[in-house]
Amino acid sequence: MGSKDIIQYIAESAEIYVAPDGKKYPVISLKAVTSITQTKGGLAREVEITALKQGITPWRYLRNTGTIGLDGQIKLLQSTVAVVGAGGLGGTIIELLARQGIGHIIIIDNDRFAEQNLNRQLMSTEKNLGDYKATVAAKRVKDINSAVTATTFLEKLTKENAHRLLKDAKVVADGLDNLPSRFAVEEACRDLRIPFVHGTIAGFSGQLTTIFPEDAGLSCIYGSSDSLPEQGIEVKLGNPSATPAMIAAWQVQEIVKIITGIGKPLRNHLLMLDAMEGIADNIELSRY
Amino acid sequence: MASITVKFYSLWRQYLGVDSVPLQADNLDEALAEVEERFGPHLREQLRADGVQVDGKIQDYSLILLNGTSLRNLKQTSLKEGDILQIFPPAMGG
Repeated sequence: MGSKDIIQYIAESAEIYVAPDGKKYPVISLKAVTSITQTKGGLAREVEITALKQGITPWRYLRNTGTIGLDGQIKLLQSTVAVVGAGGLGGTIIELLARQGIGHIIIIDNDRFAEQNLNRQLMSTEKNLGDYKATVAAKRVKDINSAVTATTFLEKLTKENAHRLLKDAKVVADGLDNLPSRFAVEEACRDLRIPFVHGTIAGFSGQLTTIFPEDAGLSCIYGSSDSLPEQGIEVKLGNPSATPAMIAAWQVQEIVKIITGIGKPLRNHLLMLDAMEGIADNIELSRY
Repeated sequence: MASITVKFYSLWRQYLGVDSVPLQADNLDEALAEVEERFGPHLREQLRADGVQVDGKIQDYSLILLNGTSLRNLKQTSLKEGDILQIFPPAMGG
């Protein structure tokens, strides 16, 4: 069965959406994508990509394409993003990546949900306490978007396994909670030539920066991984419910910009968001 | 003696009620000593009031950048006119 058959199916299933301004958009429903996938075999993602290439937008991405266009959505669907840590930052990042339509998500976390996660870790519920975070997150991805696939690694990322876990990613997102692991990810990303979107939180504040292999990176902010305690002031201040979402959302915007080539990633700049005072600071980082 | 600017961010700005202060110093040690003298005790008092016990001087429990790079990376300690010291708490949660 050639791709021509799929194109035919897609064309026959397409509808016309008339926007409030009268503009018409060819669209295809989830039901139709699912039906074509079941009939022809293969991945729903491939059906969606084929539709987009024909100028037909899956309904689910209709509100995406105003910013990134059909080409941008195709790039996202063709991409793999690794999320290291599936807790506060990571859980929200995974949720948003699935909704945005990133084609494949690698989820790395060896931890299980505990009660103290419930206030902020989007994937945690009373019913899944004790379950592996990565496994729960992968199921959530499938529930949100059947066109997105997920690979889970129930491992703690270390210097030794970082290359193996991250090598297939186009972008890596930081959902970690300690500095040594972040340095291990950054080092592997530099070796593998993969952009790394770093984020951290504490109390009502958080910060992020995007690190391309040639950019100023974590050492500009922290020095070396062994010059500071593994954890920061968040140990005392905690992480209230909205803070991870605030930083994770921006991290996802960075990932979308990197993959689509739209906009300007936060390279060589540390964006600090202080929700308590309502202030955003942008510190230019420089290599030493 | 160089005229530099010290900037506090995030929680440190909130605790100290200060965004940015000018400072005169010949070198980093002098600048950090001045920062500690003017702001250290108050910052620690504020932190203690929130149940956070920190030890040492501001530079021992803060992230400090000189013109966008960590002091931990710097070999030279001299300062020049217009330098900016950026000081904020280590936030590493996720």
